[in-house]
Amino acid sequence: MPRLFSRFILRSLWHQKGRSTITVLGIALGVAVVVAIRIGNHGSIESFKTATESIAGATSLQITAGSGRFDELLLNELGWLDGLGNVSPVVEGQVLFEGHDGETAELLQVLGIDALRDRPVRSYYLLEFDDRRREPTPRQLLELIVDLDAVIATEKFARQHGLAIGDSFPVVVGDRRRELTIKGLLLDEGPGRTLDGNFLLMDIAGAQELFACIGQLDRLDVRLHDEDSLEEAKGAIAERLVPGLIVEQPDDRFGRVDRMIAAFHFNLNALGSVSLIVGLFLIYNSLTISVTMRREEIGMLRAVGASRVQTASLFLGQALLLTIVGAGLGLLLGRILGEVAVRATTVAVETFYIAEAAVASTASQSLRWSDVGWALGLTIPLGLVAALGPALEASRVSPLEAIRGTGRLASARRPSRWALVVAGVAFLLTTVLVRFPSVDGIPVWGYTAELTLLLGAAALVPLILWSLCRLWEVGASSLPRGWRVPGKLAGANLRDASTRIGVSVAALVVSLAMMVAVALMIASFRFTVTYWLDRIISADIMVRPATLNSSIAESQMSPEALAILASDPDVEAIDTFSTRQARFGDTLVTLGCGDFQVLAAKGRLLYAAPARMTSDDVRRAARDGEVFISESFSLRFGKTVGDEVRLPTPSGERAFRIAAVYYDYSNNRGTVVVDRRTFARLFSPDGQEPSPASAALYLREGADPETTRTRLLKRLGENHRLLLFTQASLRTEVMRIFNSTFAITYGLQIIAIAAAVMGVLGTLYTIVHERRREIGLLGVMGATRSQIRRMIVLEATLVGGASQLLGILLGIAMAVILVFVINVQSFHWTIQFRPPWFFLAQSTVLVILASVLAGLYPAARATRFRSAAELREE
Amino acid sequence: MCWLAMMVMLLGAEEATSYQPTYNDEGWREAMPGYSFSFPRDHASHPDCRIEWWYYTGNLVSENGRRFGYQLTFFRTGITLEPKSASRWAVRDLYMTHFAISDGSARRHHVHERLNRAGVGMAGAATKHYRVWNEGWQVSLRGNTHHLVAEAEGDAIDLELTPLKSPALHGRDGISQKGAKAGNASHYYSLTRMETKGTVTVDGVTHRVRGLSWMDHEFGTSFLEKEQIGWDWLSIQLDNDWELMLYQFRRSDGSSDPRTSGTLVDPEGEATPLGAGDFTMSPGETWTSSASGARYPVSWKLSIPEQKAQLEVRAIFPQQEMRTPLSTDVTYWEGAIDVSGTFGGASAGGSGYLEMTGYSGRPLGDSFSSDGRVQ
Repeated sequence: MPRLFSRFILRSLWHQKGRSTITVLGIALGVAVVVAIRIGNHGSIESFKTATESIAGATSLQITAGSGRFDELLLNELGWLDGLGNVSPVVEGQVLFEGHDGETAELLQVLGIDALRDRPVRSYYLLEFDDRRREPTPRQLLELIVDLDAVIATEKFARQHGLAIGDSFPVVVGDRRRELTIKGLLLDEGPGRTLDGNFLLMDIAGAQELFACIGQLDRLDVRLHDEDSLEEAKGAIAERLVPGLIVEQPDDRFGRVDRMIAAFHFNLNALGSVSLIVGLFLIYNSLTISVTMRREEIGMLRAVGASRVQTASLFLGQALLLTIVGAGLGLLLGRILGEVAVRATTVAVETFYIAEAAVASTASQSLRWSDVGWALGLTIPLGLVAALGPALEASRVSPLEAIRGTGRLASARRPSRWALVVAGVAFLLTTVLVRFPSVDGIPVWGYTAELTLLLGAAALVPLILWSLCRLWEVGASSLPRGWRVPGKLAGANLRDASTRIGVSVAALVVSLAMMVAVALMIASFRFTVTYWLDRIISADIMVRPATLNSSIAESQMSPEALAILASDPDVEAIDTFSTRQARFGDTLVTLGCGDFQVLAAKGRLLYAAPARMTSDDVRRAARDGEVFISESFSLRFGKTVGDEVRLPTPSGERAFRIAAVYYDYSNNRGTVVVDRRTFARLFSPDGQEPSPASAALYLREGADPETTRTRLLKRLGENHRLLLFTQASLRTEVMRIFNSTFAITYGLQIIAIAAAVMGVLGTLYTIVHERRREIGLLGVMGATRSQIRRMIVLEATLVGGASQLLGILLGIAMAVILVFVINVQSFHWTIQFRPPWFFLAQSTVLVILASVLAGLYPAARATRFRSAAELREE
Repeated sequence: MCWLAMMVMLLGAEEATSYQPTYNDEGWREAMPGYSFSFPRDHASHPDCRIEWWYYTGNLVSENGRRFGYQLTFFRTGITLEPKSASRWAVRDLYMTHFAISDGSARRHHVHERLNRAGVGMAGAATKHYRVWNEGWQVSLRGNTHHLVAEAEGDAIDLELTPLKSPALHGRDGISQKGAKAGNASHYYSLTRMETKGTVTVDGVTHRVRGLSWMDHEFGTSFLEKEQIGWDWLSIQLDNDWELMLYQFRRSDGSSDPRTSGTLVDPEGEATPLGAGDFTMSPGETWTSSASGARYPVSWKLSIPEQKAQLEVRAIFPQQEMRTPLSTDVTYWEGAIDVSGTFGGASAGGSGYLEMTGYSGRPLGDSFSSDGRVQ
């Protein structure tokens, strides 16, 4: 059998180098995309996961407020905790490190601890500390970092930035610049691993000063004396905890973040899988061609005694070989693409979900064994399934058939009408599936509907191609002279081949449709966001700290900076807004705090409900302590006006009535907004209004925003790092974020199309090769070289044009599901459907141009056959 | 009469200003002669001094005759006189506490330690009244009675100590000179005989106990000097109602230190200072700690010719080494002792506590020298 495989399959693969290469490349591209997305997804969350793990140390349980920080004096009411374990209070936060060039800015995670109480929880190993030991005693550690500006940085960070013990470096916290001094260097172990070394250790007092949260703590890390009784202890602690505090395991925190991002990752994975589907089409395609072209040989093989099983196995072996080589190449390629994907994915994740994603470690870009296993485990079985049909067909070839030489090109027949039934069932399923709700916020059924729609359409492709060719043949009579005959011939040829090339055309249709669908969704989304921005921006200047564009980092504006803004003669009113994370069920939402009075007087929101919301309604909501929720919150949790939301406050969970649902496309985590007075009364540990994370300035009548902005920036100077946007520049900024978020989706589409185009190229090439006798005959009958060239190029163009036409139709249908089902289920916001006509026209031209080019090579080959035929004739 | 009252007040003011405190570079008050003690005010904390400790030891016997020694010492070390932050976590002082029980019958030594900053009130030393605490461990004053509580991992004490004599001031004006430099000294007094009752818990088993305790309170800013590698200190309560405190410094060159001194307290509570030439302390048999490798003399011969006193001191058992990696990070020997011999020509016996530092690792002086920071 191995010898037979080597002679019968390997040799033929070698002879068909071109086709084998294209198939392998197609699979490789598909696998590469899937692997790259896996690496990207993993990378974007990995840095957060390692940060959570390495900072947690030996923590068994963490006690936090459901949202924000809590009053440190609560510690005195938790003395009983000492009986259960060691308690280490923590103040945490993030600062931005600005490199010397002023261009690079890196996020640093800051951990503020009481070194005297932290020992049981975390170990710190220092470089150049002591000859005898690298782990300082609690007291030594405390004395290292006891100064308010003292930090212990990681060895890695210091090396990267040329810093040494004793050096000071500037960081930005909110809008303030602070100098920190390195007192020690942490080895790459334990907490030093956090964010790939972007980690600073401080004394808890220094951290409270740095983050302006004196009197408050982020959490208590508890290491139980008896680790085995974790669940028991958790229950016991939960029962005794003062209201407003919760107890959980360090993993729980990661789990909530993971859930928040799950839908985003799932969508990327689903999009990536399309390229794998294209690869599978290619396997089917390649094998079908092999089997069809080698019918005589197969018959011969059968005649000399090969069994049906042996025959089928030979072709399955061929598929296996192609798949393994393709997947192997794909893994290598995926590793390279992975770097790009990590960057692109983390940008998106960082923008919308977690700041920690910004520091994707280099380690996270490497290929893990799970990626390898996943790629092979998925591709090989699917590759075999794709090859099953052709392999079975090969096994059914009778020895007689081969000798007679019949049935070789049984292609003139019209494609089977069974396709209609298959497509009908598939479309019916699609319409049913789109009605199913999401599974845990993941649009599983929506994607299944896309798949059935896609399969239904693919089944129809040969039939539609056949009909289109008929139409073309009729229309060809009106072509200009010199094109008429090649036109008619091209149509007839394609029609004859429609069943056989149907599969590769379907692959092209599918990838074009995906591109169209994604383009449509993005265009619709962009239209919606632009529309929404135009409606809601009423302030003249928008302000936020320069620290991060992450929506979660709780960066704050300092009171001094706010005072500078408020004292400007042209500023008439300031609306401030602050956000923080709040626990909601088993996930996280955003708790926003705005000034409802300013909103009533000046602001604009686009309300989804109620239908009419007057200024008085807003004031009433403020007075009654009611909340506004974003549309994504409403869709995600099924809440609307009049319902109640239960939110964690320092005095325990409280219910709030929903006054309105507003459209918000700035994040999809779901936002609940309360008035700042309500916030100060119920959410703030110290009764203070929160420091704002952003502000909107309303200028005096007639003031020029650009002039005011320049003046304000000058007055803020170097000490306050704020970004000021006028309405116009905000729009540009939003679109910049928008585009960077979707960059990865476009990249994926292009790759999928590249794979599909290769498939078509291979098919065309095969068709031409297969018809070389026929083409030679055409030459004998007097067809000129240019006629033959035109015929082949027209065939290619026809394939491209038909694919694009079908792609657009299918793409629109898929976009409808993406926009109205998948998008709503995974991101919880409604998008206005807007087809990007210009893009569609543009892509059509491009696809047709590409097909013409794709036809040129086979055309050149065809004219060579003719010469050969001529020679033979002589 | 009015002018007389004025005169008295002025006189009082005059008296008070005759003590001229001195301060070191960082602003901490140094221990200088002239300070006048007042009790119970001076039991409480002296936050203007950098270093302060409250030290309780005692020999106790349970109702069924079981022998215990205990030690509970609260240290306060100033880090920054005036922290720059309003944060409660800003470190002004560090509070270290050592707690040990010597179980004489089982010959087992139970050691526990605590180290904290004040934070949200985890540790502290009050100034207006006498209360010093570190997590749940605490000493406080009720009337004339000192109340001690400490508990850790199944070991605990809950004791009430009532002084039978007034405070004995050591040295001149209660100044215990530790180094050649004037400020290298401490304000030092002791309650040398305190009637003690309460409970001692060892490995979860509680015993009702009675006995005698000794309290030391020292405060100052810098104590030791570089050449002083350690000291041997002991407190003795004799059955004849006399008490004795002796300490000698060991210098790195092996020579005797002129600051070696002691105090003798008679049955009426009258304290007499002893100079280096007034007594001798000579080490006897030794015990080597397998944990630290240090070799400690666990028996001593004492001689005070003036009092016709020849006393032999012996540890109730040798294994009373204190290793404190989490708090002071020093290793020393501190344990209960039995005393026998002659005093004033008559045979005498008693008990007490012996402390030996500087036999292993970093000398205790590092923590209490003029620069208290760990290198």
